[in-house]
Amino acid sequence: MKDVFSMWKKTKMVVLVALCAGLYAALLIPFKGFVLIPGITEFRPASALPVVMGLLFGPAGAWGSAIGNLIGDFFGSLGIGSLFGFVGNFMFAYVPYKLWINFGKSSEGIGEPDLKSGKKILAYVVVSILGAAACALPIAWGLDLLGMVPFAALGSIITLNNSIPSILLGIPIMLILYPRIKKWDLLWTDIMDEDEIPVAGRLSRIGATVMTVSVLGGMIGGFLAAFGVGQGLLYSGFGAGGDVGSLGVTLVAGVGTAGLIVSSFIQTMPKKSS
Amino acid sequence: MSGTKSIEVKGLSFTYKGEGAVRAVDSLDLDVERGEFIVIMGPSGAGKSTLANSLNGLIPGFIRGKYEGSVLVNGKEARSTPVNRMASEIGLVFQDFEAQLFSTNVNLEIAFGPENFAVDRAEIAARIEKILRTIKLEGFEGRQPATLSGGQKQRLAIGSVLATYPGIICMDEPTTDLDPVGKLGIFNIAKELHEDSEFTLIIIEHETEEALNADRLVIMKEGRIVAQGKPADVLRDVAFTDEVGIMSLQIPKLLSELGACGRDDLPMLPAEGAEFFARKGLFLDRERFREMLDRDEARERGYGDTIVAVDRLSHVYPNGNKAVDDISLVIREREFIAILGHNGSGKTTLVKHLNGLLSPSSGSVTICGKNTAEHSIFEIGKEIGYVFQNPDHQIFADTVFDEVAFSPKIRGCPAEEVSVRVQEALEAVDMAGYEEKDPFSLSKGERQRVAVASVLSARPRIIILDEPTTGLDYKEQKRMMELIKKLNDSGHTIIMITHTMWVVSEYAHRVAAIKDGKVMMDGRTRDVFAREKELYDSFLKTPHIVSLGNMLGGTVLSVEEMKYCTGGLE
Amino acid sequence: MDMFLYVDVESFVHRLDPRTKLLLMFLSFAVGVMFNNILILTAALALVVAYGALGRSLSNLKRIRVVLVMITLFSLVIWSIARPSGNRFLVFSVDGVLYGLMIAVKTNLMIVAGMIFLSTTKIEEIAQGLVKLKIPYRAAFAFSTAIRLVPMIVATSYTIIQAQKSRGLDLDSGNLIEKIRKYVPLMIPTLISVIRGTNIFSMALESKGFGYSDDRSNLLEIRMGGKDYAMMTAGLLILAAAVVLKVDHSIYDAWASIFPWGDFA
Repeated sequence: MKDVFSMWKKTKMVVLVALCAGLYAALLIPFKGFVLIPGITEFRPASALPVVMGLLFGPAGAWGSAIGNLIGDFFGSLGIGSLFGFVGNFMFAYVPYKLWINFGKSSEGIGEPDLKSGKKILAYVVVSILGAAACALPIAWGLDLLGMVPFAALGSIITLNNSIPSILLGIPIMLILYPRIKKWDLLWTDIMDEDEIPVAGRLSRIGATVMTVSVLGGMIGGFLAAFGVGQGLLYSGFGAGGDVGSLGVTLVAGVGTAGLIVSSFIQTMPKKSS
Repeated sequence: MSGTKSIEVKGLSFTYKGEGAVRAVDSLDLDVERGEFIVIMGPSGAGKSTLANSLNGLIPGFIRGKYEGSVLVNGKEARSTPVNRMASEIGLVFQDFEAQLFSTNVNLEIAFGPENFAVDRAEIAARIEKILRTIKLEGFEGRQPATLSGGQKQRLAIGSVLATYPGIICMDEPTTDLDPVGKLGIFNIAKELHEDSEFTLIIIEHETEEALNADRLVIMKEGRIVAQGKPADVLRDVAFTDEVGIMSLQIPKLLSELGACGRDDLPMLPAEGAEFFARKGLFLDRERFREMLDRDEARERGYGDTIVAVDRLSHVYPNGNKAVDDISLVIREREFIAILGHNGSGKTTLVKHLNGLLSPSSGSVTICGKNTAEHSIFEIGKEIGYVFQNPDHQIFADTVFDEVAFSPKIRGCPAEEVSVRVQEALEAVDMAGYEEKDPFSLSKGERQRVAVASVLSARPRIIILDEPTTGLDYKEQKRMMELIKKLNDSGHTIIMITHTMWVVSEYAHRVAAIKDGKVMMDGRTRDVFAREKELYDSFLKTPHIVSLGNMLGGTVLSVEEMKYCTGGLE
Repeated sequence: MDMFLYVDVESFVHRLDPRTKLLLMFLSFAVGVMFNNILILTAALALVVAYGALGRSLSNLKRIRVVLVMITLFSLVIWSIARPSGNRFLVFSVDGVLYGLMIAVKTNLMIVAGMIFLSTTKIEEIAQGLVKLKIPYRAAFAFSTAIRLVPMIVATSYTIIQAQKSRGLDLDSGNLIEKIRKYVPLMIPTLISVIRGTNIFSMALESKGFGYSDDRSNLLEIRMGGKDYAMMTAGLLILAAAVVLKVDHSIYDAWASIFPWGDFA
């Protein structure tokens, strides 16, 4: 999480936050009309962006995704949900880049995210789905807590709605974008000072594990708790007399959300070269 | 007297990271006196921008690479001073005005620099007032930059840089993306700034004619300064400017190629040229001029049937703006027509009707007998291809082949047919052999040609080109235009939007000038360019050679034509 | 650009400090979140609308009416089908209709409060307000720059759509997956042409002294005045009343009993 704050020192990272946010918002706005849950979420091809921006621009992509979503909300859906949306969309980009640093069994990580092998594509799919869920978790938790939308319905709709474009659109975009961005020296790893880029290592691995467990635990546990009080997935979640704001969901998904945030701080930093 | 020097560059060399051993700037020395106005010219890749970016320390502070030598600006070492501190010594203005504006209104944009230096509020307000006057944007205080025209945006960018009160300003191709009115606005500001004898001005430009106003002209090529001196002295050497690849002034070019005059007496401007003609007993040969008119007519007899018919077309945007107002236009097969007009004149709106991107509010457009209102863009697109101004707005594929193959593939051509068409299109733009290259890493000129090829692969009969030469240097412009001419010769009808007047005069058969949504002039290029005064009133300046011809009583369109028509030589 | 909601007029609300307006917006959110009672929420909505009228910003209701209507319809339909309890008319439950209505009022209340904030506060004031609230300048800068970029990027993407359509791209045909894939030729040029600007953008910024020192001055001056304190006090009083209402069951029940079918506490 240190990188998330230290990045603001670099002018290029500041600019990338602005550009990412602008892009995300600009691509969200035209689809404000394709509403899935009015006032809460809509069909979003722009959801392909956060994972890509996270992998390319690291913390700048995460801030860009969070701010971009907020600006998107300015066009008619600014409300209490925007707060959770800010956190959720931050995580949507942040979780994939964090998990990528130490993905797989090797202690070296899996290498740069150029998606040039089947293994990397698989890894991309996995981190996208986890990112999508990490976005859904705080939003669904928050709105359920406030008694506005049932957890299971919202959680499942956002996760699906986020992962589909991230995978279908994100992979071709990443394949074309990655080599160019790298050539222009705009990968976040090229912009930040070396001693501020988290690397693969024991702490990073623990962080990644806690993060994965939090996301999956919070989401699946949340679903189970929600089913317990009669909620259902997707639109059926609105039915069955589901009790919104129940203690079980609040606790389980809340712990997941908290774990998600805490795990962001656990990472290996390179040894100071000086 | 080192105190009078604004800039001292000594032995500057710079190699960009990852560019091997190619020095973008190579052992360069340059001194600029306080109050001097210098213009730097040269083909793309000459190292002009590298030099500009070295002046305030962006190189090497921001752009990585291998740096040697030193740059002193007002005595400060640019290399070791942070860029943001240099901002009070030297201001840099870039070509891309969109990327230089950050604020939500004009006032705040100007305030941005002084705010960074913690200038107090009352002082900033005073500076804003002063600068708005300099950049002629009084009355625009609260406007959002996005609502300004290109020329106004670039003026604002200059103003925002002036606000930190630097003693030096360096503008890197500030007028490239502007229309003639916008260009004029920038040149006027430059002139005004130069009146302050303490203010040092450096402009990197492509327009040779504008360089004449400078105190000194510096020509760069391959990272070195290859000539410098009084602009007139440098530009008189036509063989040299031709060789370097910048556009030669047409009057000296004509006279030196005719061998009519020694180098030191060469006149520079049309009026001087006409005076020279009179003095030496030279004249425009009527008979030969007549031959050229006959050639024009013969060419017109070769045109085919009507291929584009615009009938009483009007277009009103949803916000009520009537961009096209009752325009009628008939274009025959194999014509080459240039559409002139300022940004906002309605020319782009007009042209977007031709392939069905826009539908008429009233009136009709017929392409190859098909009414655009009754056919989809997809269908109209088989007959008419549209090359947009910025190739980066369409390139998306990994390889040149895939990019060019996009159109035939999406139209359902079988694989073999697709390769044949790609082959043919790439050959037409001289890019055979580039199939597997990455389109994003090509030069601007090459990307522009890929964009043309990707339209050609659909085999349209008509091709629309929107400012195909913008942002290219002279050699690339020439190459692009020769290519378009070749397409025209091979039977394509060409419709071209452009601001570049020499391109129109040398290549277009016909000109339609649009103003306020109406056709102001429409006719043979020769006939329209004869109406120099009217064009000038709309800020469209005819090329020097055309003006000379007009003074001598016959509109010629190129140096070649004038050479052919000059009579009275020994 | 009329893409944004800001209404450029003079009003009492326009002259308030952005921080005051931000607080009032969050107070509206809080009241909306606290209650599940149609009457109380409707009263709160009425207050918010009155505040909007004071800010001469209700013309924007027309611009977001689609959103508001959709929220209402969606809530009514989905909850009236989904709520299992009570009497049914065909598939709709009466209890569900009322519950849907309650959720609709709650959501619309927040959306309208957000709209009023944006209609009466300029972007630069929001950014300035954020800085005053101790959000780091650079973050506020990124935020306001992103907003400025949105219309530019939308315009660019519009040009790109036209360019690709001219080359034969047909967005309307194909199944869902094919349709999503067709966004590739649109998104790649948009992303590349915007991201390509990063270097020039950063260079222009630094060339204007960005980051010269942490001590920055500001042309815009925002200051809390008497009317700000008055409005904030009024807002907090309303919140306090709401808390009392929430906590004190006797008062709440008295309210709820006026229209017991609309209460879902």
